[in-house]
Amino acid sequence: MKPIFSCSDRGGGPGSEYLDLFMMLPAEMSWMLDEQSFCHCCQLLLQWSQQLKDGWSWEGVQGSEDGYLRKTVLRSVVIDSSPVWDLEGSGSQSDTHTSCHSRPDQQGQETEQALCVAPEDGDSVRGDIDDDDDDDDDDDDGVCTVSGGSGQVLQYEYHILFSCSYGTPVLYFRAVTLEGRSLSLEEVWSSVHQNFRLRLQQSPLNTITLQEHPLLGQPFFMLHPCRTEEFMRPVLQAAQNQHRPVNYVLSWLSVVGPLVGLEVPLKYSTLLHPAASLGSTEPD
Amino acid sequence: MADDKDVLRDVWFGRIPTCFTLNQDEVTEREAEPYYLLLPRVSYLPLVTDKVKKHFLKVMKAEDVEEMWLEYEGTPLKWHYPIGVLFDLHASNTVLPWSITVHFKFFCPLVAKKLQYRDLLHCTSNSVIEAHFMSSIKEADALKHKSQVVNDMQKKDHKQLWMGLQNDKFDQFWAINRKLMEYPTEEGGFRYIPFRIYQTMSDRPFIQKLFRPVSPEGNVHTLGDLLKEMYPAALPNDGEQKRYQVVIHGIEPLLETPLQWLSEHLSHPDNFLHICVIPTPTD
Repeated sequence: MKPIFSCSDRGGGPGSEYLDLFMMLPAEMSWMLDEQSFCHCCQLLLQWSQQLKDGWSWEGVQGSEDGYLRKTVLRSVVIDSSPVWDLEGSGSQSDTHTSCHSRPDQQGQETEQALCVAPEDGDSVRGDIDDDDDDDDDDDDGVCTVSGGSGQVLQYEYHILFSCSYGTPVLYFRAVTLEGRSLSLEEVWSSVHQNFRLRLQQSPLNTITLQEHPLLGQPFFMLHPCRTEEFMRPVLQAAQNQHRPVNYVLSWLSVVGPLVGLEVPLKYSTLLHPAASLGSTEPD
Repeated sequence: MADDKDVLRDVWFGRIPTCFTLNQDEVTEREAEPYYLLLPRVSYLPLVTDKVKKHFLKVMKAEDVEEMWLEYEGTPLKWHYPIGVLFDLHASNTVLPWSITVHFKFFCPLVAKKLQYRDLLHCTSNSVIEAHFMSSIKEADALKHKSQVVNDMQKKDHKQLWMGLQNDKFDQFWAINRKLMEYPTEEGGFRYIPFRIYQTMSDRPFIQKLFRPVSPEGNVHTLGDLLKEMYPAALPNDGEQKRYQVVIHGIEPLLETPLQWLSEHLSHPDNFLHICVIPTPTD
């Protein structure tokens, strides 16, 4: 029986974005999203994003019902031009990926030099322990105070698509300079915060690789979805145990977004749990 | 069943006679002879074109060389597509040998618009191809067996799949791959069929969705059923002339063919059924 996870809107009246969560747990205890539920979660996220002015939009694909969430962010980043990654021969980007089931090769780290740079909204690296008063403005344009390297303004574009193979959302992203030059994987790595970069290298959870965008055909970087179900499992299980509503896409985004400099304002949670914000709680 | 095993061999050993010619605008020290090669349908261009590269580098000056990329009649060839798919999609029904143009400079007026795709046109090392190949195998198994079979394999089994492809060793490859083609007898087939439908009529690179080999009522799904659900435009209307050909490994299987059988026998080594929908030639 196909496992279904869905978040359905309880409906009725203005302000009732409150979610009712029901799910059918398959015998194999794996949590997979189906496409309809994915779209539903995206539509809800979109509504909240509009309220928070967080900048997400839904892009449809001509001639089909398929689509994806999209957001662009301008960011001033200092990029060290020294290579992060020795791609020649060791293919470290691939090493970290083929080791989805084993420890990544440490080769890439040996060539890593003291680098670069957090994106200016360095707040994003603190994940959701964030003071998001500054977060309303997507077009953050401050500059990091790291010495060395040159600063440039980049446009990051993030897409959230659905992977039917893995039953999870997938994050695609690319970065271009204002002149329209695409950033290479090395440069993109160098704009991932150092703490996260280390963790990404060592963790089989996620790997960034260059892929063909499944709907647009253009080159994008992708965070591989094969381990998503693993890290989402405890989140969803806890939510079910505590009878809390959860938006799969939002929860997933709050985990993977900060890895690549994409911030998810804490305020989303107050829209998700309006009852909680009113102080009503149930005993566990 | 002996016949079915033959199909596996025929698919594996499919070849496309190809002629590589250097792009006229490349700066050379002397004239470059074309280079002829039989390309394996089931492999990938960067894995089998080292000789091509060496041949043309002999007439080039080092400073004029960026990355080698390949193009057919103005269409840049993406490195991560199986060779047979590229041929069926872009050069089916043309006179052999397949004429591919070799480039060493990224700027080329002919294909300028397409150069935003430059990152999809070359890859830096064999380990990148391996990662891509293994990623496809894992994704296919996620669809077929919820990843259980591929996850139960040891790393050396994964390696054997890749080495089998890289070194063109059918038996070495299938010793492991047969496990990925099994399914519980009571199920009647895989959970979902890994497939991709390609076409050149729109920008969308491919269609890939969930599709079961057997309906809930127990009806065996055919290739025609798949197309009806995923790409009905590919099917001819009643009485109408056939506008499109549905091509797998250079042939047009009957639409009545069971999808499960196609998945077991006509998949590529990456365990996906790559299906090309191309306009019927008008001649």
